[in-house]
Amino acid sequence: MTGFLGLVDNGIDTVILAYFLLLNTFYFLFNLLSLAGILRYRRLVAFVRFGEIFRMPIVKPVSVIVPAYNEAQGIIDSVRSLLSLRYPVFEVIVVNDGSTDATLDRLVEAFDLAPSKFVFRKSLPTQPLRGIYRSALHPKLIVVDKINGKKADALNAGLNISRYPLFCAVDADSVLEKDALLKVVRPFLEDPERTIGAGGIIRLSNGCEVRNGQVVRVGIPRNWIARFQILEYLRAFLGGRMGMAMIRSTLIVSGAFGIFRKDIAMACSGYRTTSITEDMDLVIRMQKLMHERKKPYRIQFVPDPICWTEAPENLRVLARQRSRWHRGLVETLVNHRGMLFNPRYGIAGMFAMPFYVIFEMAGPFIEVLGYAVFLAHIAFGKVNYPFAVAFFFVAVFYGTFVSLLAILLEELSAYRYPRLRDILILTVSGIAENLFYRQYLSVVRARAYVDYLRGKKDWGHMERRGFAKAGQTP
Amino acid sequence: MLSTVVLYSFAYLLLMSVSLFLFIFLRRLVIQARERRDRAAYEIMEKDLLEVLTSPGPAAAAHVFARKHRARPRVLKRVLVAYREALVGDCLEPLKTIFERSIRRRCLRELRSPFLSTRLQNVRLFVDFSRPEEALNLVKLLHDKPVVRLAALDALTGIASRDTLGQIFDLFEKDPEPNLYAYSNIFFSLGPRIEPFVRTSLDRTLPPEKTGLLIEMAGRLLLRGLYPDVVYYARHADKELRIRAARALGRLLVPGSVKTLMALAADASWEVQAQALRSLGSLQDWQTVPILVRALFSPHWHVRYNAGFGLAAFGLIGILQLQEISRQQEDRYAADMAAMVLDTVVLTGGPA
Repeated sequence: MTGFLGLVDNGIDTVILAYFLLLNTFYFLFNLLSLAGILRYRRLVAFVRFGEIFRMPIVKPVSVIVPAYNEAQGIIDSVRSLLSLRYPVFEVIVVNDGSTDATLDRLVEAFDLAPSKFVFRKSLPTQPLRGIYRSALHPKLIVVDKINGKKADALNAGLNISRYPLFCAVDADSVLEKDALLKVVRPFLEDPERTIGAGGIIRLSNGCEVRNGQVVRVGIPRNWIARFQILEYLRAFLGGRMGMAMIRSTLIVSGAFGIFRKDIAMACSGYRTTSITEDMDLVIRMQKLMHERKKPYRIQFVPDPICWTEAPENLRVLARQRSRWHRGLVETLVNHRGMLFNPRYGIAGMFAMPFYVIFEMAGPFIEVLGYAVFLAHIAFGKVNYPFAVAFFFVAVFYGTFVSLLAILLEELSAYRYPRLRDILILTVSGIAENLFYRQYLSVVRARAYVDYLRGKKDWGHMERRGFAKAGQTP
Repeated sequence: MLSTVVLYSFAYLLLMSVSLFLFIFLRRLVIQARERRDRAAYEIMEKDLLEVLTSPGPAAAAHVFARKHRARPRVLKRVLVAYREALVGDCLEPLKTIFERSIRRRCLRELRSPFLSTRLQNVRLFVDFSRPEEALNLVKLLHDKPVVRLAALDALTGIASRDTLGQIFDLFEKDPEPNLYAYSNIFFSLGPRIEPFVRTSLDRTLPPEKTGLLIEMAGRLLLRGLYPDVVYYARHADKELRIRAARALGRLLVPGSVKTLMALAADASWEVQAQALRSLGSLQDWQTVPILVRALFSPHWHVRYNAGFGLAAFGLIGILQLQEISRQQEDRYAADMAAMVLDTVVLTGGPA
C-alpha cells in the first residue's frame, strides 16, 4: 500500500513538473512571437500618417458602445474621452443598464441631454428601454436608459441602436487615447473582407493623472496590488494575446476595448446574455460562424492603441473580479466544447481551444494541487528541501523573466513609462508578486470552479473610485 | 538528477533575468542618449530648413542643406516627412530637391530590399517625394506583396500620368483579390481625371464588386460624363449594382435622373428602394414628395428611415409632411419614424 501511495505521489510530482515546463515553454514561445510581431509592426507603421487615414473618404464609420452600470464616478471622463476621439465618422452610444446611482443624472447634466424619439430596429431581444436621450451640443452622443439586464444585454441594446458597420465595445470605466480608434481600425482598412475583429491593449490608469478624459501623465501607482496587475496586463496583452494573434489563435478580444464587424456579430445573435464573459463568448461564436460558412477570417491584435482602465486596489474586489473571469472562462469553454480538437474549426479548434482548456482553465487547479501536495509532503515529513527551495526559485525567476520580457515588449511597442524608476519598480513587482499574490489568485481561480459548479452567476460588486483618485492609496 | 536540473534551471533563469534587466536598462539609456542627439540634430535641421524655405533662392539653398545634412538620414527622413505634412504646393519643391540630393539614391536601392518592411518604408517616402521619372521603379512594385503594392499605387497617384493611370486601372482590373477600400482611396485621390479610364473599365465585363466600386467613384467624384453608364447599371440584374447606381445618381444630381430613381424606388428589393429614396431626397424634385410620403408607410425599417430623411431634405415642405404623418394614428411605425426624423433634425440638423 505504501509503495502504491509512493507511486501515486511520484506520478503527481512528475505531472505537475511536466505541466509547469510545458506551460512555461508555451508562454516563452508566445513572448518570442510577440517580440517578432511587435518589431514587425513597428517597422510596418513607420511613416504611416494616421492623419491620412483620418482623411480617407471611405473609412468605415464606427459605433462606440459603452455599457454603464453604476459608473457615476468616472462616466463623464470616459464619455468625454470618447467624444474627443480622432476619427472621421463615429457615434458614441452609452447604455445606462438600470444604474441605481446617479450615472444617468450626471450624463444628462454634463452633456445637456434631452429625451429623444429615436426609432430603431429591435434586431436583438433586450430588457425594455426606458428612454433614449440625445444632445444638441454633442450630436454624436446617444444615451440609452434601460432596465438592468447585465452587460451583454446592455451591449445588445447598443447594437440595436447603432447605425454603423463596425462597432467598438468600450467599458465605461475606461478612457481611450485620442488615436486609439484610428489605430485599431487599421486591420479593417488593410484587409476589410477577412478582418472580423480587432483589439487594442488595456493599460491600468491607476497611478496616472487623468484630466478631461485623457491620461496626461503616466505613472506607477503606490498600491502594490495595482502594480502587480500592471505587469499582469502587460504580460497578458503584449506577451499572450499578441503571440496568440500571430498564430491566428485569438479567442479573446477584451470587452473593455474591442472592435468588430456588426454584420457578423448580428449573424451570431449579438452577445449571449447568459454569459459572464460575453466578450470571449462572442469572439468564439464569430469564429465558429466563419468556419461554418467556410469563409476566411482574421482577428487581429494591434499593440499600440491604448485603452486605460481602472483596476481594483484591494484583494477582496480583485478576488471577485478574477473569480468572475475564471467562471466565465470555464463556462465559455464548456459551452463551446464541441470545438475542442475539432478540425472543422481550424487552428481555433485544434490549438487555441485545447490550449485554453489545458493551461488557462486547468492551470489554477494544477497549481493549487501542487501547493496541496507540497503541504502534504511537509505534513508527512517527506519534503526534499533543497529540491523544493530550488524549484521555488526557478518558478520565481521564471515569472520574473517573463515579466521582464513583457516590460521589454512595452518598451518596444508603446514606451509609456519613460522614467527609469518605473522600470525598476515594475521589475521589483515582478519578483514580489511571486511571494503571495500569485498563490492567492491561483486559490481564488481554483475556487471559481466550485462557484461555477454551484451555478453562481453574479458579477460581484466592483468599487469605483473615479480616475482622479485611482492609484492614490498610500 | 532532478535537483541538478532544477538547480541548473535556476542558475540559467537568474542569469537570463539579470541579463534581460540589464539589456532593458542599457537599451533605455542608449535610446535616451540617441533621442537627445536626434532631437538636437532635428532642431538644427528644422532651423536650416526654415531658412531654405524662406530664402530668395530656395533651390540653391536646398542643395546646400542636402549636402550638409545627408550624413544623418534617419533624422532627415523625419524632418522631411513632418514638413511634407505641413506644406503644400510649390513649397514642396525644396523638400523634393533635398530628398533627391540626400537620400533618394538610398531609398531607390532599398526599394529592392529583400525585407518587406524596408521596401514599404521607402515606398512610403516616394508617396511624398516621387517624380514622374521614378514611375518605372514604382510600377515594378505593383507586383509585390499587397501592402507594398498598395503603397506603390498610392505613390503613383502623386505622379499620375496617362501611362501610370492606365497601369493603375490595368492592375485594378486584373487584381484577383482587390482591396476595394484601398483602391477607392487611390481613385478618390486621383480625382476627376480618371473619368475616361472608369468609362473604359465600365464597358468591360468585370466582377460585380469592381464594377460597383467604379459606379461609386462616378458618384463620389461627380463624374457627370458617366451619367449614361450609371443609368445603364440602374437597370442591371445585380441588386448591388442597382444600389450603387441609385447612390451615384443621388450624388450626380442630374435632373433627368428623377425618372430612373422613381423606377428604382419601386424596385422589388427593399435595399434598392431605400437607396433610391435617399437619392430622391437629395434631388429635391417636388413631384417625388408623394413617393417619399408613401414610402414612410413601407413595412421595411430602412425604407421608412431613408424616406423620412429624404423628406426632411426638402426643408419646410418636407417637415410639414413629416409633422402630419407623425400625428396620424393609423400607422404607428410611420408616425414613430416621422417623429424621430423631426426630433433628429431639431436636435442635430440631420442624420449624424
